[in-house]
Amino acid sequence: MGPHLQVDIEKRLGPLTLQMQFSVAAEILVLFGPSGAGKTQTLQAIAGLMRPDRGRIALDDTLFFRREAGLRPVHLPARKRRVGYVFQQYALFPHLTALANVAFPLAGQRDARDRALALLERMRLGHLAQRMPHELSGGQQQRVAIARALAAEPRVLLFDEAFAALDRRIRERLHADLRALQAEQQLIVIYVTHNLDDAFAVGHRLAVVRDGRVEQIGQLDDVFTCPANRRVLEILGIPNAIAARVVEVTRGQTVLDWDGRLLTAPPLDLPPGAEVTAYIRPEDIRLVYPDRPLNRMLGQNLIEGQVIERRPGRHLHHLRVALSDGHLVEIAHPASSYTTLPLPPGTPVRLVLRKESIVVIAPRAATRQQEAPIYASESPDGAPEWGG
Amino acid sequence: MNWPAFWLSLQVTTIATICITVIGLALALLLTRVRLPGQLVIETILLLPLVLPPSVIGYYLLLALGRGSPLVEWFNVRILFTWPAAVVAATVVGLPLMIQSSRAALANVDPVLENAARTLGSSEWRIFWQITLPLARRGILAGMILGSARALGEFGATLMVTGNIPGRTQTLPVAIYDAVQAQRYADAHLMVLVMTGLAFAGLLWVRWIEPPPQRYRPEGRSEEGASDG
Repeated sequence: MGPHLQVDIEKRLGPLTLQMQFSVAAEILVLFGPSGAGKTQTLQAIAGLMRPDRGRIALDDTLFFRREAGLRPVHLPARKRRVGYVFQQYALFPHLTALANVAFPLAGQRDARDRALALLERMRLGHLAQRMPHELSGGQQQRVAIARALAAEPRVLLFDEAFAALDRRIRERLHADLRALQAEQQLIVIYVTHNLDDAFAVGHRLAVVRDGRVEQIGQLDDVFTCPANRRVLEILGIPNAIAARVVEVTRGQTVLDWDGRLLTAPPLDLPPGAEVTAYIRPEDIRLVYPDRPLNRMLGQNLIEGQVIERRPGRHLHHLRVALSDGHLVEIAHPASSYTTLPLPPGTPVRLVLRKESIVVIAPRAATRQQEAPIYASESPDGAPEWGG
Repeated sequence: MNWPAFWLSLQVTTIATICITVIGLALALLLTRVRLPGQLVIETILLLPLVLPPSVIGYYLLLALGRGSPLVEWFNVRILFTWPAAVVAATVVGLPLMIQSSRAALANVDPVLENAARTLGSSEWRIFWQITLPLARRGILAGMILGSARALGEFGATLMVTGNIPGRTQTLPVAIYDAVQAQRYADAHLMVLVMTGLAFAGLLWVRWIEPPPQRYRPEGRSEEGASDG
């Protein structure tokens, strides 16, 4: 069994109360969530730069922090934790060369210079060792910062929006570096971002953070296919959340009542009358060509609406459709589809919702406090987003 | 030219500069790192010598160094009307300039850099000497130069606490006053020129070490060249 970092802390931070609970093994855990959710503060608590009000942080048998009733309080100073921290603003010492920056944690060791140089070469920066930080580009500075963090031989490596200010091309290369490093040294890595593309590019597991709490944690794919609740949907920028009631459950399907509209969904283990939150996968909604027969669509959910907005994308085009009852539905289709179908705003359209496109995520009792429609909410970077 | 006064001024200024640097840096550090109760009041008191009339400072120093003060009664330190009293006066008037300048410089050091050093295993002591101090060095040096220039020019309080004994406690500014009183203008001319030259050189030096307009940008250079990697 590899190393294991356990975090269970509470901290009041003005209007926000941080209540973080998770554990990380030798893997890359992405902390994803909107700004102000407490991600940075969590990293600071792990690194020893911030002291929680209570709780416990432990790496295997080493207590980093403990403040629990009846137990001796522990607060290991940051310098003794061997937790590397890579900052968004790089935080290189501006008065030292790249080499001296990397050698900084090795001070007093005889082979400091050689080891620092080896680390710089590992980050493909050997030829820039004598440069001052301001003579390096952003990507180069961040690689120096990573080399410097590695020089301290950390057991845990924290990335705080570390690549957010960099170009996509450079970010992709650094992500590849990071994955290789993690695998090579079996590091515990926590990577904070508010960019979903970055989360997919580096993460093994994803923790969705909001208002100081972990809403859901799991394998990246699992979190996306089974969001735990409406808040996670919102944070992940998944549109088309609906609140519905179970009308009838049979072996092959469930009938849902969505504000008076009946939808067939996959079978569910819930009694009739149960309130549920679900979402309609935008990629699974089909448009019906007005001049083609409908018989292929029999047994599917067929609804009518009017195009509100059409927005082309790089891979997927997005379409927003208003239903007769005022609900809005988002559709994403490949750029190559419906090329012969004119879809200016105002066009009446018929939508087909295969029953598999309706994903029930949770009984609604658990998410009652969150009743605001999701369509108007801001979505995090990287997710398709509609005008408002 | 009154050479004894010149050498005494040099001696007094040198020792005062050392005191100003050590005490001023310590106070600046205290003011930037520790949240003290009544911080605003303490800061204001430390700045007072900048605006108080020299006679008021001299009066306080007479109280502090004269008979009946703890310094004399408890520690038997009797320096009134000797040249060390001039050092005390010079230190008191030079201190605010050092505190102001080095405090701004210390506060300007990005705390993220100090945090980075902490996660890299550094002790607070090492962070201060190898990160904070080198990054604040311009402001600290500027404070030292301004403080010592002010110490060199100290006149009023010095006159009151040293007693103006030629050859023993008479500093250059006091000697100039004496020369003018005695209508020895040739003497005064030369000494005034020396003082002006020293003050000018000091201020020029401060301007010289002021941070260049182009500041450290975390973004660094525009972008990576194709050659790298």
